[in-house]
Amino acid sequence: MNRQRILLACLPVGLLITLVLAPASAIDPDVVKAEKQRIAAVNKVRPAVVAVCAYGGTAVGSGVIIDPEGYALTNYHVTDSIAPVMQCGLADGNLYDAVIVGLDKVGDVALIKLLPKKEGTPFPFVAMGDSDKVRAGDWSLAMGNPFGLSMDFTPTVTYGLVSGVNRYQPPAGGGTLEYTDCIQIDTSINPGNSGGPLFNMDGELIGINGRGSFDKRGRVNSGVGYAISINQIKNFLGHFRAGIDTDHATLGATVETENEDGSLSEMKFNAMLEEADIYRRGVQPGDKLIAFAGRPMTSTNQYKNILGIFPKEWRLPLSYRRENERKEVLVRLMGNMDTPVESNQPQRPPQPARPDPSKDRAKRSPAMKLFTAKKGYANYYFNEQETKRVYSAFQKNGDFTALKGAWLFEGRFDANDRKGPLSLSITDLSDGTTESKLTMNVPFVIKMPTAERLQLQLPDNSGGLLAVLTHYRRLLAMGPAGFTQGFNHGGKEPIYPPPTDGKPVEDWAARRVDCEVIRANYAGVQGKWYFDPKDAKLIACEVAVLRDEDPCECYFSDYKIVDGRSLPHRIDVRWGDKNYGALFFEKFDLKK
Amino acid sequence: MRFAVLMSLVFVSSATAADPFRDVVNSVNKKVVKLFGAGGFRGVANYGSGILISPDGHILTAASQMLDSAEIVVHLYDGRKMKAVVLVAEPVLDTALLKIKVEGKKIEEPTGLDLDYYDYFAALKRPKAEPGDWILGFSNQFEIAMRDEQFSVQKGVIMAYTKMHGRRGIFDFPYQGDVYVIDQITNNPGAAGGPLTDRKGNLLGIIGKEIKNTLSETWMNYAIPLGAEVETKDGDKTVTITLPQFVELGMKGQYKPVKRPEVVNSIGGYHGIIFVPDVLEKTPPYIEDVVTGSPSDKAGLKTDDLVSFIDGEPIYSIKMFHDYLKRTKSGMKLRLEVRRGENLQTIEMELGDYPAKKLPPKPVEPKK
Repeated sequence: MNRQRILLACLPVGLLITLVLAPASAIDPDVVKAEKQRIAAVNKVRPAVVAVCAYGGTAVGSGVIIDPEGYALTNYHVTDSIAPVMQCGLADGNLYDAVIVGLDKVGDVALIKLLPKKEGTPFPFVAMGDSDKVRAGDWSLAMGNPFGLSMDFTPTVTYGLVSGVNRYQPPAGGGTLEYTDCIQIDTSINPGNSGGPLFNMDGELIGINGRGSFDKRGRVNSGVGYAISINQIKNFLGHFRAGIDTDHATLGATVETENEDGSLSEMKFNAMLEEADIYRRGVQPGDKLIAFAGRPMTSTNQYKNILGIFPKEWRLPLSYRRENERKEVLVRLMGNMDTPVESNQPQRPPQPARPDPSKDRAKRSPAMKLFTAKKGYANYYFNEQETKRVYSAFQKNGDFTALKGAWLFEGRFDANDRKGPLSLSITDLSDGTTESKLTMNVPFVIKMPTAERLQLQLPDNSGGLLAVLTHYRRLLAMGPAGFTQGFNHGGKEPIYPPPTDGKPVEDWAARRVDCEVIRANYAGVQGKWYFDPKDAKLIACEVAVLRDEDPCECYFSDYKIVDGRSLPHRIDVRWGDKNYGALFFEKFDLKK
Repeated sequence: MRFAVLMSLVFVSSATAADPFRDVVNSVNKKVVKLFGAGGFRGVANYGSGILISPDGHILTAASQMLDSAEIVVHLYDGRKMKAVVLVAEPVLDTALLKIKVEGKKIEEPTGLDLDYYDYFAALKRPKAEPGDWILGFSNQFEIAMRDEQFSVQKGVIMAYTKMHGRRGIFDFPYQGDVYVIDQITNNPGAAGGPLTDRKGNLLGIIGKEIKNTLSETWMNYAIPLGAEVETKDGDKTVTITLPQFVELGMKGQYKPVKRPEVVNSIGGYHGIIFVPDVLEKTPPYIEDVVTGSPSDKAGLKTDDLVSFIDGEPIYSIKMFHDYLKRTKSGMKLRLEVRRGENLQTIEMELGDYPAKKLPPKPVEPKK
């Protein structure tokens, strides 16, 4: 403490000399301007930089607040030892109780939520930038609490260059902590900077600092630090807010560098799992991978990079070449945590638990009221909140819960070669089953939940349209109560409504709509319902009646008000790579 | 000092201080190569960095163990993978010259490549950088980049332009000329051989190896300047060898590395000291006993003496003593400073040959 004071005392003398030797006029105005901009950027973001502490105030790492409600980003490896409840210091000098919200163990990211001292008080926060625009040679600011230096939680600022972008750093802990597509910096980061923000010179958040290349020199700044790109985090943010313990993805296919010894390399598929979506999409071993998710693929690092930035089950466009033909398909990613990476490190025996008074105090924190443990979730409390929020917003488009009687839809259908009138009836029977009957020239009937698996695929080549419609009525008429096997927010996912004219799609990325997902499970059949994040209007659903088979996809459109409730008058049905057809509704009879 | 720093800041600030270095990075990246060769074990990197100095594919890099390979693999900035061979290496300059080898062509023939490159001799004519100047360091440190991925770029400031004294206490450091000392941690694994440039990407020097200063236990970050000059013994006479000479003659295939005295790489000369058991990371070199009749006995060393300096080099541990002795041979005279009781005594000891019949105790190999 004494030494610090001495240093501070020396500072004005140093400044004085500077001023004497260099009159202001001698300094290039550009230098002065750059300095002013830098100071302005630091001042703008400082209030939102977080010192993440264990309950009781022991500094562990850093973080940054990204919205006025107090949601903040940090590293998984920072919260790992202190979750679920922790404390966060801000530059205002206060310690705030905070709770874990969402996790990405593979990507080393955690979302936490700070609790305001007075309910409703907004937190200072920073804006997220576009990390795809960051380039090597750009200036950057890293902020945080290295070495737990700051007693009053004023963050440390370091200033340096982006040394490289799209960097790949392999997993560091049994399949977790894999840094893909990350930003490399010479901006000094040290122990305690973990989880802290990396800013561009406009004060926009471009990454979360979390790792360095350490070798002989010990675990301090080696001139080579890495930040997780904010664009990767944006892909997971919807999952985080829904309290999910997220998983990364694989294509279910291995790619090798063709022509390894040749002058330029190409990427070639060499093996794929039969249950992988990419296999069902018709990609075969030997096909050349050209681009994935809009990025050209020329090296294994790039392939690992791009795979690493998406949550599992996302669908993304993939371009490949077979002989001289180039094709683009939409591919669904598979999860990869199901097959945990073998760790070579011997498992350490569990440490005998020591009584930890801070843990006891943590249990009495008001933040504990915002925590519910459940497998598969970082914090199930937030999943319940998000599920409720989406469902009640969805209900604002029309409340069907009073209409529990038989439902009758009439209209017409257009299934490529076949056309004609359509009628659909969905009725709850006295034995507790629901009978759904769809007549399109010929009748198709299923009874749920007693129907055989194969029956659920009716009508043929729809992938299970009748099961979808049965689920749809349950969603409208019963809501969460209709899905006792699960009704949960599933984060955010993109969907790609196909063109209504049935023409083949050239550019899937242009059709992308990012939606909020509700996963609803009834009769052993899981459906994913996609809602417009603006107004919670139902845009699409995917229901897989058979495991490892393509789901039936339905796209809801042409919404019109019927008896004060908004109802889709058109459903486009798709299975696999084919349009099954479109249903047009003209008359609705929904009985109480 | 502060004055100098300020002045140079004013001097270099004609480009806007806040301008990002994107364009500089892109242009430098086309003139550098990733190198892959021998190594990959015991902390020896099997990768490195190089600077293209001709459109034909001449590469300037550091003379590292990585080059002890029949063929070096080169990744160009655009992802092309090629092979290179070492034309010549000069350990005294710690520099090597490579050339890309194209299939079906002899190494002395033009490759027909038309690569972006640094004109070494044009760069040599530019003034040297001064302490306080900003610099950029480019390298493939930690083997972060492969194929068409970019080199890492780091920004730093020149702290000093000075001589790197060829202390024998600094292990395996053959270069004894001037260096740019840098405030950024540029000298990481695999960084040696990458370019040090000014803020506009003009070549200033070659990033050096990972060297630890055993006096302060700190790592050095330095680069060898383009105009490096070193005085060295070539056989019996003292000669000055320069990097420009090396590059000029090397590219013509005419450079001959100097003949240096054979590097003593044995267990060194015989002293006959028995130290206390070497049980700590840095066990102080206390003498437990001396072999009767051995050089140390003749010199008058005694039990409980603490060896503190050899030829003016501080010696902190038994390991350092043995490291030092590795560079000696029979017949060499060492000046030891030993602490005996409260006093520091100077003792001269002439090393001998190891007794033909191996007598206990033989020098303990320092623990790795």
